[in-house]
Formats: sequence, structure tokens, C-alpha cells
Amino acid sequence: MTERNKFSVLVCMMAFTLLCAIVSPWLGHKLTSFDVIFRPGADDIDAIIFWQIRVPRVLLAMLAGAGLSLGGVVFQALFRNPLATPFTLGVASGASLGVTIAMVTGIHFSLLGLSGTSFAALSGAILSIALVYFIARNSGIISPSTMLLSGVAISFFFSSLILLLQYLSDAGSSFRVLHWLMGDLSRASVDTVLQLVPFVTSGIVIVSVFHRELNLLSITDDIAASRGVNVHRTQKLLFLAVSLMVAGIITFCGPIGFVGIMAPHMCRLVIGENHRFLIPASILFGASFLTLCDTLARNFAAAAEVPVGIITAILGGPFFLWLLFRKKNTAC
Amino acid sequence: MSSQPSRIIHASALKLKIDGSKILRGATLSVDMGERLAIVGANGAGKTTLIRCLLDLTAPDSGSIELNGHPLSQTSRTELAQQIAYVPQQLPERVSFTASEFINMSRYSHSYGTGMNQLDHHGAEALEKAIEQTGISHLRHQSLSTMSGGERQRVNIAAALAQQTPILILDEPTAHLDPKQRELIHKLLSSITENRDITMMVVTHDLNWASSDFDRIIGMRDGQIEIDAQANAFMQKEVLMKVFDTELCLYPHPDSGRAMVLPHSSASPSSAPSPRP
Repeated sequence: MTERNKFSVLVCMMAFTLLCAIVSPWLGHKLTSFDVIFRPGADDIDAIIFWQIRVPRVLLAMLAGAGLSLGGVVFQALFRNPLATPFTLGVASGASLGVTIAMVTGIHFSLLGLSGTSFAALSGAILSIALVYFIARNSGIISPSTMLLSGVAISFFFSSLILLLQYLSDAGSSFRVLHWLMGDLSRASVDTVLQLVPFVTSGIVIVSVFHRELNLLSITDDIAASRGVNVHRTQKLLFLAVSLMVAGIITFCGPIGFVGIMAPHMCRLVIGENHRFLIPASILFGASFLTLCDTLARNFAAAAEVPVGIITAILGGPFFLWLLFRKKNTAC
Repeated sequence: MSSQPSRIIHASALKLKIDGSKILRGATLSVDMGERLAIVGANGAGKTTLIRCLLDLTAPDSGSIELNGHPLSQTSRTELAQQIAYVPQQLPERVSFTASEFINMSRYSHSYGTGMNQLDHHGAEALEKAIEQTGISHLRHQSLSTMSGGERQRVNIAAALAQQTPILILDEPTAHLDPKQRELIHKLLSSITENRDITMMVVTHDLNWASSDFDRIIGMRDGQIEIDAQANAFMQKEVLMKVFDTELCLYPHPDSGRAMVLPHSSASPSSAPSPRP
């Protein structure tokens, strides 16, 4: 595909994402009348549903989808492994453990505008990032496979702690933890959107600046270094920036899985490996994909909304397998 | 010999221990501008580690390396990448960038900090030249993952050329290639360095190539430089015995007269399996 065609694909994706953003808020059990668009601050039920529930929810889905997808792109390049995401490295389970502790112990406080639960999720994510990094560094060279394996080990450990805490806690908090763990956008509000914006935009800006380094690092560290990339500094910076961004997303939306694997791979198939195009494509695809999944989740069952994490997981499981078998077929 | 050879690399007393085993035990080496230098030696002699140290991919435990008189430890990655281009043994097969995308990436150090390829004024020119020199214009838009070993190796070399550095370091560039592709790469490398404006260092097991296309050969053994000699002085039975610890059979090439290594004649013809009656 020529560069010109890739630009055209990006323009189409941009248009599609915009279309998703415009159409999605209108879709739902209670169709709102079109004139709410002219009264954003009004306090009638239609305006509240539209402006304070649906629009923030679509925006949250877009931010989360873009960030999770971008996180996958970066981790897959850094670890040169198609299955690497911040989730496979234990960030999600760290955040989940934080939230579980906060919910089970019932601690209530707020710091820097973050609620106790959000703060716990963020600390859990940062703890697991630090742990993975520390283990990998002390085992010698930070090799992709060491990092992945430590991530898997940490994930298992944290998950069992979550199960233990759930088992010991009362039914009410246990259910709330379970619901959060499914990955859900139903807590969206104007505030959550505003709080998440800095996480995602800073992640996008940092990653976009480093698209050439990502190209080189996705080949081998030696190639990147011999072409002039400061490998360790770049790896550390991108690792931290993306982990923080994803930690922020998990804090507000719960661990929504598989977006970080699916979106980047679909984009790679269409637009290729060059991160100059892959980064914007994955951001757009992730944003529209999660928005569509969430719209589906909101309208899936007549009686209740399904957490979006369940939808992405149902789509993601088979995709994961397809990816594995496809690799095997093209290996030789 | 050029009248005033200028020293471009000087490494002295390099020592390196990895997991308790001594990989380098005080290797010292100087390289002059425009030289063609081959590094040979048995497996595990430290050849690859030595060039990794020169490329600052591995840091020696002790010893010093100077590049154009400046310590390597004080040279930034981008400065180094403007001086030395590296051709790794093989490019991973999973890489699916197109040839021109991959070659373009080696312009990184020339436009570092600008964030955009377009600001590299000589980038397009360097790309075209490298593609022309390596004869890969037909592969330009092909993905590396669909190329043959020989094609991928030419792209690998083209990328290093596009980096436009005075020094080129190659790690066993022809180890995995068939005889035809090997010859192609040998010719390509000779023609690139013909004007002696590029210094070339190659790690290889191919003694015949070292003998015919290089000025100087360095023989490594047990992490040290055992012999450092002009190619014709190196290709002697006693010298090869010292480096490889085995007796090799030498014979002059019918065209060039350079010493070539021949396989030992196997036992008498009578012991060869006779065709079935």
C-alpha cells in the first residue's frame, strides 16, 4: 500500500470515528428527541440523559478505546510480541487488586480530585509496573520474554489475592468488585471524562513523538541502538507513559480486555507496521471499536445493560485464538 | 599503502566477563581509515563481542575505545550512528516493513530531534544511492518477510549504506547464503569499498574471502588478538595453526595467486564407496 493510500485509509477511519461519536449518543432504550442538542444545560430528563449520561459515556469509550489500543501498539513493539499488552504485563491485575482492597475495606477519601477507589487502582497499577520492571531488570538484561513472564506471574499472584479478598468479604462488596472487574463504562460522567483526558492525551502525544524509535525498536534493540536510538531511555519512557495512561483508563473504566490486542492487529493487517500510520490508525480504530462495543452493550439485553468488558472479551477470545493459529500457518 | 593513514578506531586492553566466563581478555586493535579488515577465529573466540564493543552495544569491563581520537564512552548514540553503520548477521524474518521503509529508518541519526523524516535533506538521495548500489530497486516496495535470504541481506546492507558513515561493520554477512548470493555480496562489498573512502570491518569464517578481498586479517583466540597481519602474511600454515589449532591445507588461487584454504583430501580413493554392482 502506498503512503497516499495509507493517508486515505486514515481519513476514512477519522470520518468513521466521527460518525460513531455523533450517532452513538442517540442510540439507547429511550430515544431522545433531536432538539436536546440545543439545550446542553437544561434539567429536563431528555437533556440529562443525553448530555450528562450518553455523551460522557461515548466520550469515555472513545478515550478508553484509543488509549487501550495505543497501549497495545507500544507494548507489542517494545516486547516484539504480538500478544503483549499492558494487561498481559500485570497492570490490569495490579489496578484490580487496588480497587478490590479499597472496596472490601471500604476506605473513603479523596486526593487530588481522585476518589479513594481511583487512587487505589492507580497505586495498584503503578505497583505492578514497578514490580515487573524491577524483576526484569534484576534478572539481567530486560529481555522481552522475561518481562512477559514476570507479568504473567504477577497477574496470577494478584488475581489470587483478589479472589481471596472476595471470598473473605461480604456479598455486597464482593458483587461490586465483580462488577468493576468486568470492565464497565456505566459510571461515566463529565467529571470522569475530564479526569481521564490528561492521561490519554499525554500518552498519545508522547507515543506519537516516538514513532520512529518504535519502528526501530520493533525490529531489534541492536538495530535501534546502531541507528542512533538511546534504547534503554526510550524503552523506559514509553513503558512508563503507556502504563500510566492505561492505569488511568482502568481506574475509571475497569479492566476492559482485548481492545489492546484486537485493535492494533486489525490496523496492522490493513495499514502495515510503520508506526507513523499505525499509531493514528490504532487510536481511531480503538476509539470507534470500543464505542460500538459499548453501544451494543447498552442495547444488548432489554432488561439490563451488559458491561462492555464482557462484549470485548467475547469477541476477543476467538480473535486471540485466530491470531495464534494464523501465526502458525505463516511461520514456514 | 596510503601515504598518511589516519587512525579511525583504537581499542586497547578490552576485557569482558559474562556470567563468569572471560569473553575478552585484553584485546587491542587499531583500524586506519579506508582499511578492509577481516576478523576471523574459532567459535567463541570473541569476534562478535569485540565488534559489539566497538558499536557500544556491549560495554567492556575495562579497557578503552577511541573513535577518531574521542572516547567512545563520551560519544552519544546519534554521534556514533553517524560514524559507524552496522550490518547484523540476519534481519529477523518476522519484520514486515518494506525495503524502502527499512532503509529509510537508518536515516534516524541524521534527522534526530526533528521528529519527521522530511527534514532530512539528504535522506531521499541516500536512499536512492543505497538502493542503486545494492541493486534492489525491484524490491523497493516488497515486504522484508517475503524476501529470500539473499535479498534480505542486500536490503540489510543497503540500510547500512544509507546511513552514510565512514565506517561499516558487518557480522558474518554471508554465513547463511548460497554460493551465488555469497559471491554477489562479496562483489558488492568490494565495489563499495573500492575507493577506500569507507572503512570496512567484517567478522567471518570464510578464510578464502578474507584472503582475497581484505587488506588485513585479525585472528582471535580465547578473547585475545592472536595474530594481526596483512592478508598474505596471515594466510600461512603456521599462523592458521596458531589461530585455529588445526592444520589447514593451503594452495594459491589459479587467478589471483592469493592463498586459499582447500579441504583436506579425504582418505585414499580406494576407500571411497564404490558404485553398486
